[in-house]
Amino acid sequence: MTVGGGAAGAPAAFDVKKIRIYGLAGSVLGIYLAWILNTVTGTDIFSFIGAVAALFGVVMGANAVRRVCGYGIGTGVPSIGMLSLGMGVVAVAFGLSVADQFGMGALSVIVTLVYAMIFGYVVGVIANKVIKFNIPVMEEGLTDLAAGGAMAIMGWSFAISGSLAFADIVNDVINTGYIAIIFICGGLAILHPFNANLGPDEKQDRTLVNGVMVGGLSTIATGICAFLTLTPAAALLQLVVGFVIWYYFFMWYYRLVKRDASAVVGTGLLPPSAL
Amino acid sequence: MDALSMGLVAAMGALATVAGASEDIDSDIGSQSNPNSQVQLAAQVGNPHRIYNKAIAGEPPSNALWCTTAAIVAYMLIEAFQMPALFSIALGASVAALFDGVMSMSAYFGRNASQKRFNQWVYLDIVRYTTPSIMAHVWITSFCIVTITYIQVYVLTPHHPFPIPVIALIWGLTVGAIGSSVGDIHYGGEREFQWRLFGQGLSTMLSGQIVRKAEAGLRNSIDNAWFCAKFGGPATGMGFGLTVFLDNWRTTVFDPVSQALLAIGTGVFFVIVMNLYNFYLERSARRKYGPYPGYKGDIAA
Repeated sequence: MTVGGGAAGAPAAFDVKKIRIYGLAGSVLGIYLAWILNTVTGTDIFSFIGAVAALFGVVMGANAVRRVCGYGIGTGVPSIGMLSLGMGVVAVAFGLSVADQFGMGALSVIVTLVYAMIFGYVVGVIANKVIKFNIPVMEEGLTDLAAGGAMAIMGWSFAISGSLAFADIVNDVINTGYIAIIFICGGLAILHPFNANLGPDEKQDRTLVNGVMVGGLSTIATGICAFLTLTPAAALLQLVVGFVIWYYFFMWYYRLVKRDASAVVGTGLLPPSAL
Repeated sequence: MDALSMGLVAAMGALATVAGASEDIDSDIGSQSNPNSQVQLAAQVGNPHRIYNKAIAGEPPSNALWCTTAAIVAYMLIEAFQMPALFSIALGASVAALFDGVMSMSAYFGRNASQKRFNQWVYLDIVRYTTPSIMAHVWITSFCIVTITYIQVYVLTPHHPFPIPVIALIWGLTVGAIGSSVGDIHYGGEREFQWRLFGQGLSTMLSGQIVRKAEAGLRNSIDNAWFCAKFGGPATGMGFGLTVFLDNWRTTVFDPVSQALLAIGTGVFFVIVMNLYNFYLERSARRKYGPYPGYKGDIAA
């Protein structure tokens, strides 16, 4: 049952193209920056930058969910979020192993991104042409979603393993089962924002701030995971960074709720019009 | 089969029963899952309310998140710091409950703020006293689920080959799916539409016309927990507990490698017996209470 969607054509403060460019550039450059700093200094202390880079992918993905699901996909919001991270997992596994095969582990982020975008576009075409969703932005939306999901998984995987090598990520992220929390918490970071703000008076800035807030929670989770795989200092730093991101964006979100809600009251009966 | 394994399987069944019950009550307090669409619609058809609106991605993904969060914390503490299992799992469940509190609050705030034009207010007292009840139930659910995965991976022989977080993810999805399919009707069908005769179905005209007023004052989500804890929660617990117990029982009694056919046969036998019992139950309910008032015959799809 579709419940009160209707964000299609709703005014968006931020242009989709800008969000896409910032999302892609932010996540790719962020992961590479973290990798270069880790490699040059010979430590794993900069792994948290990977988790911050993942947030750019999350914002891009959350905006894509908002655009696609604004066409009245109410109960489909969770499904499309899971689809995004599902495509992301496949793309990351593909990108890492292909880059490893050619002996250029550092290229894995680019290979993952290209593969994810092609994959997302193909799934979008199938959804529109074969399953006949007939949503105009479906192809574009799923391309963004796959890229956002893949970058989120890549960023948080780097944050846990501190390396872009295929063997390290298999050891630290997949064999330990930490991929499960990246998948589900990252998925929630992409799908929860629009799902939690569903309704006719949904606002883009509130939705995206919610996405970063949940991304902060994911960073806390990867920080906890990192105690097993990184040095304690790097893990603790990541935990603190995650908490700061979460706290800042949660308070921001609450301010936006107070701005947008009909009324925020301490207690009280129903509004006078409804009694 | 040995006595210890059978005892462990029984313990897993008991833990699963508790987890199923608390999972269903948690989702009922927050009006999550299927009944959520009615709570969401209520304001839109002119019925603003004081009921919690915890829209977190449906029950299976959200419970998968709580259980996986608890699992990573427990796994990290056990493997990296050699902490005692019970302590680690309890701490993991606490972190999961905190995560749940954040997500629940953000969903309540967001959904109600997005219904500005329907005059749906955000009540902070509801957030203050309902969120802790939800978190408490999530604590119980994730504690039980992670204990089950701990038994599977570290205690029960043969040890499960998957890592703890992945098994917790799968169990979380399962308990959410069972809670969604078994428990929801007792909240949605019987509680939200309490003044309708049960069994007549819900026509589109009635969408959003939920019960908003209690015996005294306005109904809130704690009232719903009180109602659902009587039958919906225990029924869900029974559903999930039986699933876990019977499934593990057949692979404990029969060796899954050397007696694979017997184990599969027992599973098929359980499925057939349950289907026959369901069929009997529906027939007997229709015979005793039907035809339902307002029933106009099946509508051609």
